[in-house]
Amino acid sequence: MKPLILLIEDDPQIRRFLRAALDAEGYRLQESITAEEGLAQASSRQPDLILLDLGLPDRDGLEVIQRVREWGKIPILVLSARGQEKDKIAALDLGADDYVAKPFAVGELLARIRAALRRSSTRADGAGSLVHFGPVEVDLEKRVVRVDTKEVHLTPNEYKLLQVLIQHAGKVITQRQLLNEVWGPQHTEQAQYLRVYIAQLRRKLERNPARPKYLQTEPGVGYRLVPEE
Amino acid sequence: MLLRDALAPTNLAMIYLGGVVAVAMRCSRWVSVTTSFLSVAAFDFFCVPPYLTFAVSDYQYVFTFAGMLVVALVISTQTARLKELAVHAAVREARTEALYRLSSKLAGETRVFEAARSAATLAEEVFGARVVIFLPEDGRLSFRRRTSDLLPVPPSEESIAQWVFDHGHKAGLRTDAHSEATALYIPLRGARETFGVLAVLPDIVSNVENRIFAPEQQQLLEVFAGQTALAIERTLSQRSAEETRVNMQTEQMRSSLLSAMSHDLRTPLASITGAASTLRSQGDRLPLETKQELLESISDEAERLGRLVGNLLDMTRFESGGVELRRDLYPLEEIVGTVLQRMEPQLEGRAVSTDLAENLPMVFVDDVLLGQVLWNLLENAAKYTPPGSPLELAAFKQDDAVIIEVRDRGPGVPPGEEERIFEKFYRGQSGKASGKVRGAGLGLPICRAIVQAHHGTIQALAREGDGAIFRVSLPVESRMPSK
Repeated sequence: MKPLILLIEDDPQIRRFLRAALDAEGYRLQESITAEEGLAQASSRQPDLILLDLGLPDRDGLEVIQRVREWGKIPILVLSARGQEKDKIAALDLGADDYVAKPFAVGELLARIRAALRRSSTRADGAGSLVHFGPVEVDLEKRVVRVDTKEVHLTPNEYKLLQVLIQHAGKVITQRQLLNEVWGPQHTEQAQYLRVYIAQLRRKLERNPARPKYLQTEPGVGYRLVPEE
Repeated sequence: MLLRDALAPTNLAMIYLGGVVAVAMRCSRWVSVTTSFLSVAAFDFFCVPPYLTFAVSDYQYVFTFAGMLVVALVISTQTARLKELAVHAAVREARTEALYRLSSKLAGETRVFEAARSAATLAEEVFGARVVIFLPEDGRLSFRRRTSDLLPVPPSEESIAQWVFDHGHKAGLRTDAHSEATALYIPLRGARETFGVLAVLPDIVSNVENRIFAPEQQQLLEVFAGQTALAIERTLSQRSAEETRVNMQTEQMRSSLLSAMSHDLRTPLASITGAASTLRSQGDRLPLETKQELLESISDEAERLGRLVGNLLDMTRFESGGVELRRDLYPLEEIVGTVLQRMEPQLEGRAVSTDLAENLPMVFVDDVLLGQVLWNLLENAAKYTPPGSPLELAAFKQDDAVIIEVRDRGPGVPPGEEERIFEKFYRGQSGKASGKVRGAGLGLPICRAIVQAHHGTIQALAREGDGAIFRVSLPVESRMPSK
């Protein structure tokens, strides 16, 4: 059966074109206009993905993320307004999977939906021990990294950072989340460590570190490992 | 006594007169008059026979004595008068100089409190006394708002100062009112109102008390207070003139914003409305190709409208002070990389060569905003130069700054427009002429606002050969992460 998407959005025009676009892609769609209604449907219908607008009439969209995460891991894709990095970070830190800034092109949204659905379906079977992106091959079992089949030496922290990025491949991870997973909860404010290590990883893995293709920065928010589609 | 033999008595009299002149020049009038009499007596005693007595043998000498006395007296009084004139001139000069220094010192002050403080400091120097100026707070004079750190007068005298402030008359020490006070209080009276009170405390230790209470010093003190009041008055009126000017500018900006907005926003809206309504009413009769074209124009124009609204919102946020910089240390490489990667669609396949120096320190910036600066500069470069001409992005360290340059090989910035292109709604002459460059003229002003918020500078330069260079200079912050 086709995946079911729950759209929680109050603006009728945006619902209208999303309905058309998602329908054309063959997704099943459930729409709700308020946070309250959305939460009820999320638990009763168990959708495969939630598309959530942050500016809802009855409650803050962030609260919806929090409530859904109390009981489930349904991927949540946030539709946020442009330039509000604070909201994006808050949404991601609360457990949202990704965000798309309004105004957005439908093509971009569909790509993000596909990536999120793919991640949630492969999460269960614990991904293979070999990961490829571009010229890079990572053997998660033997902890070996190769670029163009040549082995590259990574420091333990660099490797750990790469490992976390691979675990969340395709998804934005906030600086705080990365620092927490690699260095531990007491270092979540020291973003400059992270930037130094990301720069080093890029020098070792990217063909042109000045224009990274795989280790991408989401300005003001965090980082994303983009495997080739 | 040898002289007595060598010179005639009349010539000896000349020597005595010389002495009178010398004394008159140095000493006061009374001393020199006395000297005149003494010199005549001495001449008689020593130089007129019989010697060493006041008796005179030859009656001719009586005329000599009378002539000598008259001349000596005239010389001594005239010399004394000249001296007094010179002293007066010096006092006047000192006074003029003090007032000149006051007015030149106050001319540069744009704030009332600073003007009062300058005046008080200068007054202490000129009068050799302690001077403090009190200013009103919410319409009442307050000892808290004063030009000195310590309060040199008893707090109980605040009521005297208040009285002076209210009535505009001086009071306190050596005046008719409140002569028991420790200081003399003089109002700072301007043309329309009183701006504060100047308090003078005689410095008893160095015994200058008499000096400041001398009539001409008192007069000078009052002129001084008046000048200070005028300076404060001028400062206040300048400020209100400045406010009026800012208001007018805001008004002007608003109207030019409105006219630019109505044109720049309506044009894409017209295309969108037109294309969409064509599709709706005649969609079934149009060839597929035309439909596709109309759809493309809808999405292109919507994108343009979106950029415009975004720029307008950014500019408004900057001007209302609503932008909070979230600065941190970033490798410039990372910010440049992100921008170039995201700009690929806008650059339409044009190559941008990057040249980032190896030794670049991390920059202490808001990454999103600096990214926007680079984005706008590159977008402009792509827009204003022929398709396919090379674009370069370079960064290097120069003294205490990181310099980022966006260089192109286009027509360059027309001479004389290097500053104006950073003004809101200004569009280069070339852009106006060709009509192909569209936008609300906000890209560069936003860049400038962002760079200035980072305490940096941005400028447009002519490039050797052909083309333009946009140079952003950011000061290097000494805050490096501790590892």
